[in-house]
Amino acid sequence: MLPTLRRRLPVVALALVLAGCGAAPGGGDGPDLDGELAVALQFPPRSDYAFDADDGARLQSLGAVETLTTVDDEARPAPLLATQWEQDGDAWRFTLRPDVTFHDGTPLTPDAVVTALSYVAGVEAPPRAIADIGFAIEADGPDAVRITTTEPDPVMPLRLSSGNLGILAPAAYAGGGAPDYLRSGTGPLVLTEVDGAASAQLTRFDGYWGEPAGAARVTVRYVEDPQARALAVQAGDVQFAEGLPGAQLEQVRSAGAEVIEYAGARTVPLQLNQSAEPFSDVRVRRAVTAAIDRPVLAGQVLAGGAAPAADLFGTAVPWGATAPPPGADVEQARRLLTEAGYGPENPLTVRLWTFPNRPELPTLANAIQAMLAEAGVRVEVTVGSYEAQEPDVLAGDYDMFLNSRSYLSDFPDAASTLTSDYTCDGSYAIDQYCDPDYDALIAELNRTADPEQRQRMFTEAAGLLTEDAVGVMLVHPLNTAVLRGATGFVPDPLQIRPVLPQLTPTG
Amino acid sequence: MRAGRRAAGAAPRTAVTPPAVAGTVRIGTAAAIVVVALVLLIGPLLLPEPDRADFADLLAGPSSSHPLGTDQLGRDVLARLVHGGRLTIGLSLFAVLATGVAGVAVGMLAAATGGPGRLLMRLVDVLAAIPVVLFGLVAAVALGPGTASLLVAVTAIAWTPFARQTFLLVRAERGRDYVTAAVALGAGPVRVLVHHVGRNLVPPLAAHACVRFASTLLTVSGLSFLGLGIQPPTAEWGAMVAEGREYLFTAPHVVLVPSVAVVLTAGTALSWGRRWDRTGPW
Amino acid sequence: MIRLLLRRLLVVPPVLLAASVLVFVLPRTTGVDPARALLRARTADAVPDPATEARVRAELGLDDGVVEQYLRWVGTVLRGDLGLGYVSRTPVAEQVGDAAAVSGLLALLALAVAAAAGIPAGVYAARRPGGLLDRFLGGATVAGVAVPEFVLAPWLVLVFAVGLGALPAVGWGGPEHLVLPVLTLAAYPGALAAQLVRVETAGALARPHARAARARGLGEQAVLWRHGARLATTSVTALSGMLVAGLLGGSVVVEVVFGIPGLGRTLHQAVTAQDLPVIQAGTLLVVTVAVLAGVLVEVLAVSLDPVQRTAEGVR
Repeated sequence: MLPTLRRRLPVVALALVLAGCGAAPGGGDGPDLDGELAVALQFPPRSDYAFDADDGARLQSLGAVETLTTVDDEARPAPLLATQWEQDGDAWRFTLRPDVTFHDGTPLTPDAVVTALSYVAGVEAPPRAIADIGFAIEADGPDAVRITTTEPDPVMPLRLSSGNLGILAPAAYAGGGAPDYLRSGTGPLVLTEVDGAASAQLTRFDGYWGEPAGAARVTVRYVEDPQARALAVQAGDVQFAEGLPGAQLEQVRSAGAEVIEYAGARTVPLQLNQSAEPFSDVRVRRAVTAAIDRPVLAGQVLAGGAAPAADLFGTAVPWGATAPPPGADVEQARRLLTEAGYGPENPLTVRLWTFPNRPELPTLANAIQAMLAEAGVRVEVTVGSYEAQEPDVLAGDYDMFLNSRSYLSDFPDAASTLTSDYTCDGSYAIDQYCDPDYDALIAELNRTADPEQRQRMFTEAAGLLTEDAVGVMLVHPLNTAVLRGATGFVPDPLQIRPVLPQLTPTG
Repeated sequence: MRAGRRAAGAAPRTAVTPPAVAGTVRIGTAAAIVVVALVLLIGPLLLPEPDRADFADLLAGPSSSHPLGTDQLGRDVLARLVHGGRLTIGLSLFAVLATGVAGVAVGMLAAATGGPGRLLMRLVDVLAAIPVVLFGLVAAVALGPGTASLLVAVTAIAWTPFARQTFLLVRAERGRDYVTAAVALGAGPVRVLVHHVGRNLVPPLAAHACVRFASTLLTVSGLSFLGLGIQPPTAEWGAMVAEGREYLFTAPHVVLVPSVAVVLTAGTALSWGRRWDRTGPW
Repeated sequence: MIRLLLRRLLVVPPVLLAASVLVFVLPRTTGVDPARALLRARTADAVPDPATEARVRAELGLDDGVVEQYLRWVGTVLRGDLGLGYVSRTPVAEQVGDAAAVSGLLALLALAVAAAAGIPAGVYAARRPGGLLDRFLGGATVAGVAVPEFVLAPWLVLVFAVGLGALPAVGWGGPEHLVLPVLTLAAYPGALAAQLVRVETAGALARPHARAARARGLGEQAVLWRHGARLATTSVTALSGMLVAGLLGGSVVVEVVFGIPGLGRTLHQAVTAQDLPVIQAGTLLVVTVAVLAGVLVEVLAVSLDPVQRTAEGVR
């Protein structure tokens, strides 16, 4: 190292002189309303901010584009561009907020909403929030829209909070193809410039109907590399960053940053193939559950970057489990394995598959291997590409599969995940679980409109899964946000409400 | 990824070591190679469990039970270093041997066949300009990231510098007096190539192989660092650096140990290559 | 020279043709359904249903034969209109072109820094073979090659961005964002250039014409630079030609670690997202640049043999 550095010193010195005017982190306090912010975000747009991809939610979280509804802390629908709504059979009527203007100066009208939502409902693969329900929309009077579906839909107001259903000014759709999202939303920030997957520029929208944005100008840098985001905060390049590794939080904290950790609506399940030996035996599944120390996985293996999971749902949602799971009970695990016919004479050997797209998964796989070894189960770990593994795990041709799933489907409702992942005919039923009682519960859920009652049924369904030891819910990864030179971050575990508008520079 | 590693082979005349220190360096390099070889051959037998986690002893510094400390899963860093080294160095050695044999064969063939040989070499020149990393990316798409895609990346076109150098060396040697003499005495082309020319090819080709080994090692660990090669939890030096990066501040040894291993191994190979290199003025 | 160039260029089309076939066919041999992969890439947690997959396959023409698809793709390449990326949804030509411009700038700056540091270092080291500077340079060039980017880049960030706060750690835009990535990228070509120049210069200084010049009373510096360094320039140019393609598409680590929207990072993202049109176009571009640079360097080397030219000039 040293010779290399020394050899370069003249060049480095020159570079330092050239760059001497680089930004240093400001030290003052108190909000600065004319201030500018730079932020490092985790997920670059992969599909040019397309509404029918995961990118749809990007425009929402940037605070540039708004939806008809949003959600409150209890995961219930709340007014945004629509102020009230009522259900009438297979139709819902949404009354629009008055005096809202788009960034291009045109007013928000029922026709504008119809144009926007008809576009996204008519694409090749419509977003999950409105796919396969026969979604149709028309103007209803001077200040309302009417949305109809094939069957009466209990959760339309929640669906409309999905970032995939953002509303842009009619001019944005005039081109026929993908909408032109620059300067055409209604949010507190105007998206003025986008440089591919590298960066974006936003400015405060002075004609915003609600509370104005905290910063006059925001520069967004997309940085996929977690360590690079942490270093950017430490170097003072950015005043806000999200998604930092647990091990680096202490370091940014000691650099004077405010660190906020909050729950995320994601579960890392160890899925067990119930359609074949050995996991067709519930005792073996319970033994695996008992052998795995979930608090250790969350606290030590992931360095506090996750919360231990007791259930499919965590504290990100009001219906999630709040009590932490028990630690490992190796004796219990051994006893259950012996009952099932496995022991030192007939040791159990299983394959565990996972994929590296989420870096915590191979690490967890290694830890699970060690924990199960304590209970006498030999685990062979294979880390490969998800695309290659998917056909086999869906066909039930595997033993253990370490996966990572968001349990909300773009809006805060779990019915879609509970149906696709765990019903007999589910399209993503990797565990190969099939139980008539469970399916009956889900069928009833799909007829229930009352939000509180639905939430109780979510809890009940998750309880059935835990009871039958359908996979092992290991951890819920935590979201992190770091501020240094800014204040006002409001965590939203549901990832619906925007992030950037509340941020206010302090420098 | 380091750009265009293969071009290292384009500058075979790399001898810079002055005679005064050559002896020390020579002994030092030889000792380093012996130590590395012994550790990698015997180490895995002594430290059989590189993946064994110990949750009571996470990110610990060096101690008597863990001479290089433990990582974020309480795995012994020395054991992972040794097993990872066997994989990283083994793959690199295999790739260099395979591409070396193939490249020398192609180069000799081209040198022995005149017109068609020159055409072949023109093709080789063109192929040699393609960066290895590209093959890593395309192979990762085609085969899924893993050992197979890694091997494709470091062998697919890595034989071309060997072929080019062999061709140039053989052509240069053939014009020399001793070859003319051998041919006059009735030696056939194969005999001339193998017995007479071959002997003079060994030192420059060995020097070249050392440079290639270093660059292959850096490619293997670099692709694994990017997640396009060996997948964690399997121990591999580049993958270990990638896994340990977030502990740079809290437990720097987790990153430093594999980083230093990569640098020292590649550096040793380069120094040893200079030893072999007799074509330079020193 | 023109005839030589044309003759050498004859090899290029068949190589590009072969490369285009490989780049097109290889990703299709995996058994992974591209329609399913791209639906998942667009929406990570969604479960693609067969009807949607069929629609997407039909829309992208994935149901046609491979030969038909290949010919259609070659047609688009020749017209320069590569359509939209499966996942990125932006024009592929524009996406790859913009990224290549970024990487190209980095590559040229890195090569310039490498030459600016490596050539004088090599020349001065050659002045006294075995001297202190020479020995130091010997070690430094080994380090320059042996220290990989994934080790060097984080340490540069730690020292200059986090420690001294003088430079940004990540990002792209201003000149200050160039410094650390260019330094990281310049280490390897700089080390190679220094080695090359040192060997060539020392060799030239030992030749009769240099000794003669010194005897005629030319100053030490003049001899060194005029005779030694000049002939090294050609070989450094050749070296740059061979490295430029690798820097253009192969700086993946640097671009990922510094968050630079270059071609390496674009390709890395496209590989992760299985965005085939972007991978194919980017790969083909880098191969083309590599092959053309290779041909140019060779022609240059043959037509401007430095040793002969310099020797002639002195007599």
